[in-house]
Amino acid sequence: MSTILPVCDIPIPQREPHIVCHDPGSPILPMCNIQTVPGDMTERGCTFAGCRGVVGGPVKDVIQLVHGPIGCAYYTWGTRRNLSDTKLHRKYCFSTDLTEEDVIYGGAKKLLKSIIESYERFPEAKAVFVYSTCVVGLIGDDTEGICRQAQGKIGIPVVPFHCEGFRGVSQSLGHHIANRTLFEKVVGTEEPDATTPYDMCIIGEFNIDGDAWIIRPLFERMGVRVLSVFTGNASYADLPPMHRAKLNIVQCQRSSTYIAKMIQDKYSIPYINVSLFGMAQTAEALRDVGRFFHLEDNAEKVITEELAKYQPRIDYYRKRLEGKKCFIYQGAPRAWHWIEPMRELGIETILTATTFGHKDDYEKIMSRVNPGHICIDNPNALEIEEYLVKLRPDFFIAGLKEKYLTYKLGIPFINGHSYEEGPYAGFEGFVNFARDIDIAVNSPVWRFVNGWMPAGVDVNAKNSDN
Amino acid sequence: MQRTVIINPPKMCQPMGAILAYMGVHGCVPVVHGSQGCSTYPRYNIARHFRESAEVAVSSLAEDAAVYGGAKNLAEAIKNVKARLDPEAIGICTTCMSETIGDDVRQIVKKATLPDDTTKVIPASTPSYVGTHLTGYDNAMKALVETLAVKGEPNNKINIITGIINPGDIREIKHMLRLLGIESIFLSDISDTLDTPMMRGGHKPMLPQGGTRISDIADSANSSGTVAICKTAGSAAVYLQNKFNVPAILGPAPVGVANCDRFVENVTKLMDKPITREIENERGRLIDSIVDVHHYMFGRRVAIFGDPGIVSGIVRFCAEVGMAPTVAMTATKHRDFAPDIKAVNSEYGTDMQILEGTDLYEFHEVVKSQGAELIIGNSKGKDIADDENIPLVRVGFPVYDRVGVYRYPILGYRGSIYLLDLMTNAILGHKYDPNKLHQ
Repeated sequence: MSTILPVCDIPIPQREPHIVCHDPGSPILPMCNIQTVPGDMTERGCTFAGCRGVVGGPVKDVIQLVHGPIGCAYYTWGTRRNLSDTKLHRKYCFSTDLTEEDVIYGGAKKLLKSIIESYERFPEAKAVFVYSTCVVGLIGDDTEGICRQAQGKIGIPVVPFHCEGFRGVSQSLGHHIANRTLFEKVVGTEEPDATTPYDMCIIGEFNIDGDAWIIRPLFERMGVRVLSVFTGNASYADLPPMHRAKLNIVQCQRSSTYIAKMIQDKYSIPYINVSLFGMAQTAEALRDVGRFFHLEDNAEKVITEELAKYQPRIDYYRKRLEGKKCFIYQGAPRAWHWIEPMRELGIETILTATTFGHKDDYEKIMSRVNPGHICIDNPNALEIEEYLVKLRPDFFIAGLKEKYLTYKLGIPFINGHSYEEGPYAGFEGFVNFARDIDIAVNSPVWRFVNGWMPAGVDVNAKNSDN
Repeated sequence: MQRTVIINPPKMCQPMGAILAYMGVHGCVPVVHGSQGCSTYPRYNIARHFRESAEVAVSSLAEDAAVYGGAKNLAEAIKNVKARLDPEAIGICTTCMSETIGDDVRQIVKKATLPDDTTKVIPASTPSYVGTHLTGYDNAMKALVETLAVKGEPNNKINIITGIINPGDIREIKHMLRLLGIESIFLSDISDTLDTPMMRGGHKPMLPQGGTRISDIADSANSSGTVAICKTAGSAAVYLQNKFNVPAILGPAPVGVANCDRFVENVTKLMDKPITREIENERGRLIDSIVDVHHYMFGRRVAIFGDPGIVSGIVRFCAEVGMAPTVAMTATKHRDFAPDIKAVNSEYGTDMQILEGTDLYEFHEVVKSQGAELIIGNSKGKDIADDENIPLVRVGFPVYDRVGVYRYPILGYRGSIYLLDLMTNAILGHKYDPNKLHQ
């Protein structure tokens, strides 16, 4: 048996198949993508979060209108660090603010008025995205019909997303819904002004803390034209011509492989998976793209330039971080994206976990880790705490909700969702990542965790825990 | 407001407030009966404001619950939280989802608990489509006293219902009561649970230390009076008054001279205690600090937004300092808000616009038309302040783009001094001629 039941889970043994210790002799994957055990203190979010927060939210010049009671709109207002060079999508929060009366009589009229009024106040918007929350699905508003009607009146696309929070088991279905909606309603509705033989889309890249601003120029320097980024720093106008790319590359392979596959099936445009984190993986991605476009020499040139510039910095941080052990807990893909980059810094990942990983995510994790590695599907707060205490990694990469729990245990932490001081992608971003790990691990603050500092203490003495 | 769509709402939904109320109870685990986002989003909001983790469970409602109801999920959630954490209490809050499908949370809780359970389960109905985060706080607090308060011997204490204020504010109010020799029960108390120390060796208790004990909430029926700091959090006070004859006083939030005086007067009268020299001295220091800065602040136009009780208090304080508040805005409606602001207008000759139940988009329009040299509000005021090139003094919830705001009080005499210093320094630090600051 290589599944594990942690002590905190003894009352909920159904968690056991979700927690696996890697044994290459009899490899198994954690059970995944099923309903959460009610009350288990899950870290998961909802389908609305995956659709509005992750995939739809970064599109910068649309009115992001949340149809529902106020909370869901508020909580997604500017929170995820999906940066852009304009501010409409992060600075403004639009909501139909449904009340009890609307729940009884329906919110359709309010939605129509809200779309029109939003556009009147923000005529620079290129489209309106309408996201349905739980209550809208339950009361049965005809959002499709209303959005069509509104589109007729205001003359810009009004796109409804049926992403009620209670659908599915996690954020993951929300990604899928956003992909399918944008593919069905947007992709292919406009032709690009011009095409070149080197047109490519970067899919599943949300410009977290500026990642896309690092990634995109790497390909452009190779001579590739980036037609669209789906959806980091994207204009609405970037999405309709996606069907004219020659190649798609997919960075977030959980949230966005859907649209790459749909484009492949309908328009015969191939896609390749990439990991644009770390020196080796980024170089490999550039080489793969170079091979496809027969731009191999250009790819090598960019790689050489980047390595000359940034490898010495990585070597510096490796000296400071060699031998450290970490946990990585992410939505899904970054849990495996970062295992090899950590090794480039001399760091071994001893535990990974994902909030909403599917089988393919866990296959990717298991193909990268050493025997004895612990892998947890949909971990809850108690499991995270138990493993942090038990294995005491040198640092933990997770999200804001786990940050302060980790600190209280005296363990250094990196926010892998929105980053500390990113970007973290590409060669240059990896230097930032390494620097932030160095700051986390080597901060003097950890010396004080173990109690009183007696007079004459050697401040350079290594903390026994770190 | 002639508009249906809400743009930039400085308000959240009921579960957010209910979770904060429950987090002030010792050993209490909040359980949200709804979709998973309904716990994750408030947790995120708590984490970024307090820089603390907030452990909140959720019943993880999904499609089957939409059809068959969510009773099974909630019962299982209660069972699992009990089995794994053995908490002293579980605080349930409902959501738009569970309310729309018609789950009767009281019945579910009744069935899921036994009379001799050591874990108290508190059912609060907090539909997200009614009211705001403040309504949720109020409903959860009322559910806590309804479920737990028991008549016994008079305890000679005062109940303080905090509302959504910061740990720094709670500590300041405790300090004032200490100076007055008054014993208290806080309903509830996040000052330790959401501002926790790092323990030696990183030994973290499973649930945070601190918070109001269940036994103290039970004893709240026997207090000499209840003061609700925020008027929006008064339902539990009214319940205790009606059911147990505990006199209730709702507000005003003790910001500024008059409101702090009212607070001191209210608690000393209820408890039949004299006003002490120490409190007189603190009051004196506040007056002294206003005297010191009144030349800088006189006539300064200030725009204020936030939760109604706190905004009313800050508005009055600004007027006391000689400033000219131009707009007072709250997203949560409250019957006393407009009368409170109008009273300031008439007492101080100010000409404030009152925005109630509206949003920051409209607030911004008024700031533009009325002009302001200072904005006071939470982090959501940043873009307006930047656009108008005026400073923002951050108060309220949430403040996530500055550190430490939750630690410091703006309530009480000392808190008011701190707020005044923040306001004055914001003015002096922004386009004020430094040549005039050498003497």
